[in-house]
Amino acid sequence: MTNPFEDPDGTYVVLTNDEGQHSLWPSFAEVPAGWTVAKTEDTRQACLDYVNDNWTDMRPKSLIEAMGG
Amino acid sequence: MTAPAQQQKQSQLEDILPLSPLQQGLFFHALHDSGQDVYTAQVVFDLEGPLDVAALKAAAATLLRRHANLRAGFRQRKEGTPVQIVQRQVRLPWQDVDLSASPEDEREAQAKAVADRDRATPFDMARPPLLRFTLIKLADGRHRMVFTNHHILLDGWSTPILQTELFALYLAGGDDTGMPRVAPYKNYLAWLAKQDRGAAEEAWRRALAGVEEPTLVAPEARAATGEPGRVRLRLSEQLTADLNARARAQGVTLNTVMQLAWGMLLGRLTGTTDVVFGAAVSGRPGDLPGVEQMIGLFINTLPIRVRVRPADTVAEALTRLQGEQAELMAHHHLGLPDIQRLTTVGTLFDTMTVLENYPFDPDAAGTDLGGLTLTDVDGYDASHYPLALAAVPGRRLSLRVDHRTDLFGPEDAERLAGRLVRILEAIAHRPDAPLASVDVLTEDETAKVLREWQGPVTERRPGITITERFAEWVRETPDAEAIRWAGQSITFAELDARANRLAHRLIGLGVRPETPVAMLLERSADAIVSSLAVLKAGGAYAPIHHGHPPDRMAWAVAEVGAPVLLVNTPMKDRAAELQGAATVIVVDDDPELAVQPSTDPGVVNRPDQLAFVLFTSGSTGLPKGVMLRHRDAVDLVDDAAMRNGGHDRVLVHSAHAFDASTYEMWVGPLAGGCAVVAPPGQLDAAALEHVIAEEGVTGLFITTTLFNLVAEERPAAFAGLKEVLTGGEAGSPAAMRKVLAACPDTEVGHVYGPTEATTYTTVTGMRAPLSAGERSPVLGRPIDDMRLYVLDAGLRPVPPGVTGEAYIAGAGLGRGYLDRPGLTAERYVADPFGAPGERMYRTGDLVRWRPDGQLEYVDRADFQVKIRGFRIELGEIESALAAHPGVSNVAVVAREDSPGVKRLAAYVIPAAGVPDDPRQFAEQLRRWVASRLPEYMVPAAFVVLDTFPTNPNGKLDRRALPAPDYGRANAGRAPETPEEELLCTLFAQVLEVERVGADVSFFDLGGDSIAAIKLVTRARQAGLELAPRDVFTYQTVEALTRRGEEEQLGFEVLLPIRPAGSRPPLFFVHPAGGLAWSYLQFQRHLSPEQPIYGLQAGAFTREELPGSVGEMARDYVAEIRAVQPAGPYHLAGWSLGGLIAYEMACLLQADGEEVALLALIDAFHSQDLEAEKRQILPELLESIGIDATMIADDGNPDLAQIMAVLADREDALSTLGEDDLVNVYRNYENGVHRAEEYRPGPFRGDLVFFTALQGRTDEMPTGPANWGPLVDGRIEDHPLDVDHHLLMEPVPAAEIGAVLAAKLDELYG
Repeated sequence: MTNPFEDPDGTYVVLTNDEGQHSLWPSFAEVPAGWTVAKTEDTRQACLDYVNDNWTDMRPKSLIEAMGG
Repeated sequence: MTAPAQQQKQSQLEDILPLSPLQQGLFFHALHDSGQDVYTAQVVFDLEGPLDVAALKAAAATLLRRHANLRAGFRQRKEGTPVQIVQRQVRLPWQDVDLSASPEDEREAQAKAVADRDRATPFDMARPPLLRFTLIKLADGRHRMVFTNHHILLDGWSTPILQTELFALYLAGGDDTGMPRVAPYKNYLAWLAKQDRGAAEEAWRRALAGVEEPTLVAPEARAATGEPGRVRLRLSEQLTADLNARARAQGVTLNTVMQLAWGMLLGRLTGTTDVVFGAAVSGRPGDLPGVEQMIGLFINTLPIRVRVRPADTVAEALTRLQGEQAELMAHHHLGLPDIQRLTTVGTLFDTMTVLENYPFDPDAAGTDLGGLTLTDVDGYDASHYPLALAAVPGRRLSLRVDHRTDLFGPEDAERLAGRLVRILEAIAHRPDAPLASVDVLTEDETAKVLREWQGPVTERRPGITITERFAEWVRETPDAEAIRWAGQSITFAELDARANRLAHRLIGLGVRPETPVAMLLERSADAIVSSLAVLKAGGAYAPIHHGHPPDRMAWAVAEVGAPVLLVNTPMKDRAAELQGAATVIVVDDDPELAVQPSTDPGVVNRPDQLAFVLFTSGSTGLPKGVMLRHRDAVDLVDDAAMRNGGHDRVLVHSAHAFDASTYEMWVGPLAGGCAVVAPPGQLDAAALEHVIAEEGVTGLFITTTLFNLVAEERPAAFAGLKEVLTGGEAGSPAAMRKVLAACPDTEVGHVYGPTEATTYTTVTGMRAPLSAGERSPVLGRPIDDMRLYVLDAGLRPVPPGVTGEAYIAGAGLGRGYLDRPGLTAERYVADPFGAPGERMYRTGDLVRWRPDGQLEYVDRADFQVKIRGFRIELGEIESALAAHPGVSNVAVVAREDSPGVKRLAAYVIPAAGVPDDPRQFAEQLRRWVASRLPEYMVPAAFVVLDTFPTNPNGKLDRRALPAPDYGRANAGRAPETPEEELLCTLFAQVLEVERVGADVSFFDLGGDSIAAIKLVTRARQAGLELAPRDVFTYQTVEALTRRGEEEQLGFEVLLPIRPAGSRPPLFFVHPAGGLAWSYLQFQRHLSPEQPIYGLQAGAFTREELPGSVGEMARDYVAEIRAVQPAGPYHLAGWSLGGLIAYEMACLLQADGEEVALLALIDAFHSQDLEAEKRQILPELLESIGIDATMIADDGNPDLAQIMAVLADREDALSTLGEDDLVNVYRNYENGVHRAEEYRPGPFRGDLVFFTALQGRTDEMPTGPANWGPLVDGRIEDHPLDVDHHLLMEPVPAAEIGAVLAAKLDELYG
């Protein structure tokens, strides 16, 4: 079974939630509640590059605040 | 002779014709399918009104006369080619049945029975015609026609043509003069022969390129038996109209619509996006004149491939499918077997579709049937496919789902039909929807799989951390046991103080909130102390696996960026090899710790804060660190499955770096219970049983492999536990049953879950399901506050029964992968079914819901495998091998060449071509990998190839890789001694290979630590004492047997023959020569649970000889008390040894000890042994099996001669040195004297006596006579037909062993 997250020819978006967590997401699938599109449709690698460049602190936002940054 | 007579003699044979491809297929089935031929077709229709039976019969006869192919029989030529032989004339098979006299309410049933019987009566393929007519009279003016035929004659499309012609002939009274000429079937066969086969093959090859596996809804189905079940339903007029409109709008046929729908359904049923199924096509070539009026077999079954891409819209998918099918139109004549041969898959599908656009239409017959009305009653056109869809167009499209009743129940078929309708609705109404969004689940099913079957939602105590929870217990029960280690208890208060000191030290070294601290610790209480200390300092512990090669450990330490590396003394040297930047603290030997305050450092942690990092194998060649939070551990601790009383005293025995450590370290102490730390090293079943009993362990986790092993070797080992958790690989219900039966008070908890979701996602007690007849190792349902979704490629929940990929959400879902945001975003993804903004973890595990709401594990979706419970990414091993300069290409696969034994095999293409000595190259690669990867990731076999097998797409075809020749690696020298032979056999059994050379390493043959434990157990059962460490140290059979000589054949006074075992030991006392080696063989005869020691003369280790039997006995009692401080004692001795044993027994009794067994082997006291006159040496030699006269003519050989003889022997004595031999002689001489002098006292108890019958003189007393006056118990005398000196030869020793074994089993069995 081809996993929808492993399709080398597929197109993807990058989603983020309120905690700043990032998720790769196949562009055909509906965006789940609580997530917004941070990077619009692109290749899988481009989306992963985006995540690597932008998700630099993997702590959830609420924890970053609680820990004083 | 007259002409008419000649004419009568004209050959009956009209024609011999080849078979069409489909006919060939059916003929093959008819020949090879035993029993009922499922290719018998039947058409049944009622005739209302006055019927001219004779005219109908005449019509049928004319029909047969007109259509030559209906008169064909089928045979095989001698060389195998099938042919159809057309007879010029055949008898009309016609049967009249009159039911009009039967009671009216029974007629229908009787008529059905008649039809059924007709259908059940097989046709003889060689005897035409392969059809029969039965006319049933139901009443006056009411008849039923039953037409039964073998499918090889005609297809469903032909049926209406046949009916039409039959009734046209009926109206003409059987006269066909006015009817058009028949276009014969042989024209079609001729047309077939002219087709371009090459072009057709090319077209089909293209169409099926990339299909790597068949689409099977019932992969395990056996040959069809019985008749299929049928479920029918009709779509509404509206939906039918909408579907037709959609087809028109899209420019596709209704057939394409049905095929897409079936393809989507199959995709959902099989969890794939590329499906193939069969479709019946009319097969009537448009360019064949008269083809539309022909009766015969034209229909063909062709594979239809549908790619159900989740991202395609309905409209796109329809257009694509129509286009693909149009390309194949000209090539419908190729037979299915020929098409299947073009792929590497073989059988491509097991489901069928047919659009039946040929219903009989009496109006179309056009003419008056002489007042007859025809009603279609039933037809029967069986197929052997597990599932077949027939669609009949009309104002309301009707659907029929034929299903094999041995595979699907009627309710399954109904459900399928319902799903198909939902798909058809989506196709009709949502052309722009991506296929992924088309839902096939009912609301009820959705509610079940997303909610009802998920983990119970509980009220968690908010904001709790590991450190806070621990602090609560320190306050509440400071003096309770938190850790047991090496027989000592550590209380909560002590653990707190120790962890606090280390925490202060760590803070001093710069550890701050979320700072990772690497740990490399051999199993000990320090592992828990240190983990807690790291958390108290605010940091996160990151255990490194100490079994890993230094490079990998160094990498992991660097990867976590830890400023500090905690080690304990046993790991100190390993740490020194790492040479990282981290400060190394030896936690059990750090002078600074004592001066640190024992008070809590007061660092406040948060539940979402990072608590630990666990490394797992990564596909890119490097491990990845899974980040888990405080709340994850505490949620596991609080889970109902952990708080059932089974996990209050948990055994800590897994590697610290293994994710089971979360359970082992925290589930006890954080709930006020205790963590019982097992001694270092791999535990075998006996050791497990021991520690469970000794420490009152209530719960433990053990990997599937080890569990199965213990179940096989010692199922009762878990009996002391409340619950044993096991999982990691596909569990064995048989092994679980064994354990449950042997441990009536123990539950077996089957666990499943990835590290990423904190160790356990499901925990299921197996006692109830297994005793209720459960046959599969079910996973049950998620534990508290966890959810497991089974999703398809479109991220939709799959229906129960269908395999999908497991996604885990809810409690315990960690933060992600350390410093790998991209990888984290790939695996921890948005959860469409949870609360807004939640994530779910994509496991890569294939699972399914059973209809009863139990989860079942199916397989892995990717190249991750589990070997002995370890999660391994094959890509990681491939990367390691690819880095070798001599390797140009590599593939690593997990193979199961013998059932149940999964082994890694590496396939390598060398950069410089296959070297002359591939074995040497393979060995080089093995060392390369072993130095880079942990032992469990080193492939068991390396296969050097010059090229890889590929599939039609040019991709590596993993399934076509050759099985490694494990056998070749096993070459090596043949075993030379019985012990070697025994060990070689055991090696081979355990490794499941044919043979094993005596000089080949156990580990080179794929052996591992589990196999080593297995070997040790088997060896023990065969009477050979081995420890797992011996297998690791010595590795080859040769070295292991030599180890026996070196280690066992010592000269120490107390010789440990088999020190392990649960019973009190048995001590054998040496005979006059002073050595106890001859007692080694009793290992074979006594229970593996029976420890055995030998007692040997002190003369081998010290100068002076003992002055009396009493002196020896006193010495030996001191020796045995060192290993067994208190009774009951078991003593045995041969000859002088018997006297010493007797004296020891008396001494022990005088000390108030119990002597439960005393066995004297042909030993007599107060005998005149003529010590002064004896020829000691020949006697001594005889006692060790050497005839002195054979060495020296005078029977008095010198020492050199004796030594030469001994050296030639391949037994224990060949290792004796000259000095040793002299000592044996001195002992013997002294022993004979001391025996003469010995005067025993009384003994209270029974005596087991063995008498050597041969060579006895009349003066010699019997055992009972000699000892009777001194012993108050019974004397049991066992006579042996052998000479005194030969009592330790294998045969008499075995008899002695059997008696002793029975005695001991009576006491302890």
